[in-house]
Amino acid sequence: MMVKPLSDMKPGERGKISQVGSSGQIHRRLLDMGVIPKTTVEVERIAPMGDPIWIKLKGYHLSLRKEEAANVYVEVA
Amino acid sequence: MSQEEIIQARNKSLTHLKHIFGDDSETVIAGERYGFIGGLLKDTLKKPRVEKVTTSDKIDKVLVNRWAGIPIFLGIMYGMFQFVFAASVPLMDLIDTGFGYLAEQASVIGGWAGSLLSDGIISGVGSVLIFVPPIFLLFVAISVLEDCGYLARAAFVMDRAMHKIGLHGRSFIPLMLGFGCTIPAVMACRTIENPRDRLTTMLVSPFISCGARLPIFVLLAGVFFTAHAGLVVFAMYMIGIGAAIFSAWLFRKTLFRGESGHFVMELPPYRLPTPTGVAVHMWERGRLFLRRAGTVIFGVVVLVWVLASMPWGVEYASTGSWLGHLGSFFAPVFIPCGFGEWQAAASLVFGFLAKEVVVGSMGAIFAVEEGALGSALMAQLGWTPLIAFAFMVFSLLYVPCVATIGTIRSETNSRKWPWFSIAYSTGVAWIAATLIYQIGRVAIGG
Repeated sequence: MMVKPLSDMKPGERGKISQVGSSGQIHRRLLDMGVIPKTTVEVERIAPMGDPIWIKLKGYHLSLRKEEAANVYVEVA
Repeated sequence: MSQEEIIQARNKSLTHLKHIFGDDSETVIAGERYGFIGGLLKDTLKKPRVEKVTTSDKIDKVLVNRWAGIPIFLGIMYGMFQFVFAASVPLMDLIDTGFGYLAEQASVIGGWAGSLLSDGIISGVGSVLIFVPPIFLLFVAISVLEDCGYLARAAFVMDRAMHKIGLHGRSFIPLMLGFGCTIPAVMACRTIENPRDRLTTMLVSPFISCGARLPIFVLLAGVFFTAHAGLVVFAMYMIGIGAAIFSAWLFRKTLFRGESGHFVMELPPYRLPTPTGVAVHMWERGRLFLRRAGTVIFGVVVLVWVLASMPWGVEYASTGSWLGHLGSFFAPVFIPCGFGEWQAAASLVFGFLAKEVVVGSMGAIFAVEEGALGSALMAQLGWTPLIAFAFMVFSLLYVPCVATIGTIRSETNSRKWPWFSIAYSTGVAWIAATLIYQIGRVAIGG
């Protein structure tokens, strides 16, 4: 088991969110969109220019920039 | 209880709750909410054991591919413009012929009434309505892309580049609309949540060359750059995009410093657009242009005619007319740009009311059809290709039309930003045209 920021995950990697460490508006937005501890996420792809990233969680797709994903920590098996 | 006491009590509760739950209250609430939803779903929904790959996923594998994503995006944009231009040409010809016939019929009346009706109203309204096909078709294309879900992917593909220049992935859609008409572009900025991103996008969108500017370029490039006309028109679009990028960067460094909006956005599954949905979207956007054609531009056309015919007895659109006086007043300002003649200045003044009027009012001033306008400019004003180029750049960049300014006013709910937009864009246009003319003159050795 290894914990790493969501922004460091590679396409195809999946894991369980352990902590959403961002603050302010971003924090609330992430929570609203279901980015909460104990949720399973998978990084599906990275945009052609290397940012943003495209993740799958709760059966839907979400995009976010790497800087926004940097404070979301994920337990990767 | 005073305000401070309330805030203190709140903070105390927050710390207290954090001790109990081991997490901040927002996270706890969101966790509980999703926990409840999860429980409900477990009781009511049967999921297949293996998640199946949907059609939408398969499409995304190709369309937002790491390597093919950008070429495909550019291909779709190119295809869209090809479609818009190819499909609108026959319709535009039809409108052109129709209004030409009407104007001819009206001129039979004779006298000042016949002149007002045929030279002023019919020709003027016709010259605006001719843009209805390309603008509406562009809106159809954008609505299709939006309704099927591709625009969200386009924002995903483009966000890095847009973010770099100080815009947002979502700024992309308003800027695309700007190629049709700046008014819906300014209105589409509503979808950008962050106020700094929104204002930056709104203020740079007038630099994206709208459909109304195209006839100025087509006409002048066709006459002064015969063989390379297409290249020159393309250069105008590029200069507009360049000015938008530069301004976005500048505004971000000066006026709107600070964080830009987030990009936490859902990517919905692809859906087949419905004709009704597309029609509704097209109409919502296109209606703004039509309303303008019906009101502002109609008024302008009559105004130009009046100014060109007054005072009584003066030769139509001559130096002695009110139009001539107005042009002469502004003309000296444009001497460094290379086009300090009153005719050019007068047409630019009217261009503020609507940019497509620049060509139309020049036509009226020289009393020639648009086809003969280029040679009139060359013969009577002695314009060179360099001057024509500087004039095109100025027309591209200066003051967005009055209807756009009105839209900026209502969308920002302030008096400051419309004035800023007027001053900034005219300043940029004057500097750009002057630089082109002066540097070009030295380079060519004229």
